[in-house]
Amino acid sequence: MIAHFLIWLEASPLGVFTRSLGVWSYGIINLVHILGIVMLFGAILLLDLRLLGLWRSVPLAALSRPTVTLAMVGFVVAVASGIPMLAVKAGDYSDNPFLLIKFPAIALALVNVWLLHRSKAWKAHRGRALVPHERRRLALGASLSLAFWLTAITSGRMIGYW
Amino acid sequence: MRHHPAYFGAAALLLATSATVSPASAHHGWAGQEEQVTALTGTVVEGVSMSGPHATMKIKSGNDIWDLTLAPPARAARAGLKEGLIPVGATVTVRGNRNSDRGRHEMKTIYIKQGNAEYHVYPDRE
Repeated sequence: MIAHFLIWLEASPLGVFTRSLGVWSYGIINLVHILGIVMLFGAILLLDLRLLGLWRSVPLAALSRPTVTLAMVGFVVAVASGIPMLAVKAGDYSDNPFLLIKFPAIALALVNVWLLHRSKAWKAHRGRALVPHERRRLALGASLSLAFWLTAITSGRMIGYW
Repeated sequence: MRHHPAYFGAAALLLATSATVSPASAHHGWAGQEEQVTALTGTVVEGVSMSGPHATMKIKSGNDIWDLTLAPPARAARAGLKEGLIPVGATVTVRGNRNSDRGRHEMKTIYIKQGNAEYHVYPDRE
């Protein structure tokens, strides 16, 4: 089923269009993808380390707004460049095991961030100081976040080495 | 400015890691290839594609279909290659480093010759 989807993606207008863009196109799309990941993971790393207890002198509410915004922008940039990059020769990746690690890891990371943002602790952090069990809830989310995103990035990078 | 010893430790670790990556293995294309150069003659099954991380083509040699991995597209273009230049069915002779897994018919291609036309994709490896 995944192989069918990849073959369809390669033959799709997006695949045809991306392949027509000239000899530098792949390198440039790849660059945009990296910049997206830099924004996404740089912001996530900063926020997650704060949630895990580093830099306590920086108020969490002051850090959470810019990092969450930057991570969201980075995620959109990474997805918008990642799909055409895959579409160029999608069929070539049908037997690539790292693809099967990367996308589930991204899905888990998104579920984790969704649950974290729904938590009472997250909703409270802008208005008042958190109590210990709330800090532990956010620290757990931060640990899972780092594990899932690092897995996604590592397996993504390894796709080209398979 | 106050320097924490952990920062120096992390910096030293990063330097050590980058120093152990040799130029040969730094480029993922060549790490899994045989050292010696192999020559192949065959007919083109799929012409040169200039999209993706590397230019590619497919040839049939004997009963085997070979995946030829060329340079990144911009470098392949500098070597004179273009899509459609070598037609399907043409006879070509290629040299390159074949995959060290002998079951895989894949070659990182250094040189292509079709008739009188020669394409030196990686002259420094010849």
